[in-house]
Amino acid sequence: MIKRFLVNMWNAVTAVALAALVCAVVLALAIGAGALLGYPPIHLADLWLRGAAGSWYALSSSCADACPLLLTGLAAGVAFRAGVLNIGAQGQFLLGALVAVALTTRMMIFHQAELVIPTALIGGAVAGGLWGLIAQYLERYRSVPVVLSTILLNFVALYLAQAALQGPLQAVGTAAAESPEVAGKYWLPLFVPYTDFHIGIILALVLAILLWVLQQYTLFGFEARVVGLNPGTAKAMKMPVTIRQFQIMFISGACAGLGGAIQLLGQVHFMTAHMGNYGYAGIAVALLGRLNPLGIILSALFFGFLDTGAFRVEESSLALPHDMANVIKALVILVMLVLAGLSLRRARRAGRDAAGPSTPPMRESTL
Amino acid sequence: MTPAQNMFTFLSRQAVTAATPMILAGVGELVGELSGVINIGIEGTMLMGCIAAYTVTGVSGHGTVGLLAAMAAGMVMAVIFAAASVWGRADQIVAGTAMDLLGVGLSGMIWMMYQNWRENLGFSTALPRGSGFSAVPIPVLHDIAYLGPVLFDQYALCYVTIGLCVVMWWVLRRTRLGLIIRALGDAPEACHAAGVRVRLGRSLCLLFAGACSGAAGAYLSIMQTHAFASDMTGGEGFVVLALVIFGRWKLPGLIGGCLFFGLINSLQQTLQTARYASQNTALHALTHVPFQFFQMLPYLAAIIALAIMSRKAPGPRYINVPWPEVKT
Repeated sequence: MIKRFLVNMWNAVTAVALAALVCAVVLALAIGAGALLGYPPIHLADLWLRGAAGSWYALSSSCADACPLLLTGLAAGVAFRAGVLNIGAQGQFLLGALVAVALTTRMMIFHQAELVIPTALIGGAVAGGLWGLIAQYLERYRSVPVVLSTILLNFVALYLAQAALQGPLQAVGTAAAESPEVAGKYWLPLFVPYTDFHIGIILALVLAILLWVLQQYTLFGFEARVVGLNPGTAKAMKMPVTIRQFQIMFISGACAGLGGAIQLLGQVHFMTAHMGNYGYAGIAVALLGRLNPLGIILSALFFGFLDTGAFRVEESSLALPHDMANVIKALVILVMLVLAGLSLRRARRAGRDAAGPSTPPMRESTL
Repeated sequence: MTPAQNMFTFLSRQAVTAATPMILAGVGELVGELSGVINIGIEGTMLMGCIAAYTVTGVSGHGTVGLLAAMAAGMVMAVIFAAASVWGRADQIVAGTAMDLLGVGLSGMIWMMYQNWRENLGFSTALPRGSGFSAVPIPVLHDIAYLGPVLFDQYALCYVTIGLCVVMWWVLRRTRLGLIIRALGDAPEACHAAGVRVRLGRSLCLLFAGACSGAAGAYLSIMQTHAFASDMTGGEGFVVLALVIFGRWKLPGLIGGCLFFGLINSLQQTLQTARYASQNTALHALTHVPFQFFQMLPYLAAIIALAIMSRKAPGPRYINVPWPEVKT
């Protein structure tokens, strides 16, 4: 048990070191490219760092931005690990937020914050999970690839949210598609006053650790991994493949939906259909964290800092567009993927030469 | 012509106009998938085509230059994707998602920088007068009843697309090149044995796909709208992916799917406005439906079509399997 724990930790440390190296190289390249375009590199880096972590408040807004990224990253990570290619975190995130805003503004059954907040969070998670199950149903019984159906369902969710925000959930006295502001007593409480540190961040961290334990130390996690690596083997071992896939999809969607609900109640407090592309960014977060929930915590923090800093740089006199952050994320994914693909090939080759048993399985290393 | 015929002609013409960029991108994607590489990132590639066409046309004043720039931009994206997925053995699905993120980020970034730059110089960011394309009716053919306005009163790129479809259909069905393309995705080891370089072949197919997607982006920005907006493709690239599967990796099926999708799209746009003016009670009752449900319709139709059609459609066998295969 202790040895397994140490091995896990060692794997985590090497993964983190590799990811950090990739991030550093890509960031350096980005700042270099900025310098070529005429943005002073030192000033740029300085602004970026200050914007992300220069003050107690900047630090808190970076962490608050990392929170939805952590949850959508977990959504992607849990699903990919089990071979369920859920790219629909964006739609699940939106629906989670939608249900949370409905439950806190229009459909209130109770009026005590202690009851309303948990109901809204759970409602958001369940909505996201059910939305994911549609895609899994289509894959299992209609052989529609999950990759495609989740992407298309993202757009359906987007228009559904817009219809609701211009219909039953619209704020009074506006023509725009936006909900009324959630009453202050239903906001997620802050654990450091006058910052953005809301308890949703702690909740997300706890969830990440729980998922890590689930993945590494339970029969469920083991079966889910086997299903992801080789469904044929899983079936031969009499594992309930279909049920596991549905369960994983529900957990994945629920993570994304909870992310939407937390972002709404903790950070933005009213809803529009444009809540940022956290769903798509979650895939990058998961990959950078190498699909390990603990790694995902670190990569979500990194992306949170990257985003928050990028917005400050955009507001400053340098006016470098914050989309720069998206470009950096995309480059990080590509580099990580190529490294994984090449190291897999090298490992296989070495394994074949030495006929060693320790060849890493396909899915785990590619993703 | 009766009003009903008129309406039908109008809808069909709109459908062809809307379907053209999807067919264009779809032909490229089809060739890529037949060769064994699925590219989820065509949405990002199309966006790069949009922004490249728009900015280059804005600066140079020539739409043709913009179109070429868009194709070049698409090919650059294809080179990056091929480097990662074909040569770097990255998982194609996830690498494609990264390409999508890259396209969205880079196009948004270029757009902001372009706006700042033009405004600092004191220029407008709109296209110079007459530099964007407009519809080109073909002299004699566009007088044919029904078929004329539908097929022969379109943008220049639409005619090119029709030609490309015919050529690609012939190439894929009847030529050695087509056989090689399909073999790259169905039996790469046979290609290898026959002396075809698998990775090079796949990369070339991806380059072709990139140029097609770039041109499709140019169609959106400098022909159909004469404007750029961030995320202006609005998921069309993803729909194309669905339609390739819907057409079961066959060109006629793909084209049919695109036209069907275009028709639903033009129908929903027309319905959105027509329902208010209509005397027909059934149509008028639709005014109670929020317009977002009409916007949702094409995506729902794509999902339903996939749910009905995608059974027993195996597709190329080696999609998302990097070459050379490593056996455990």
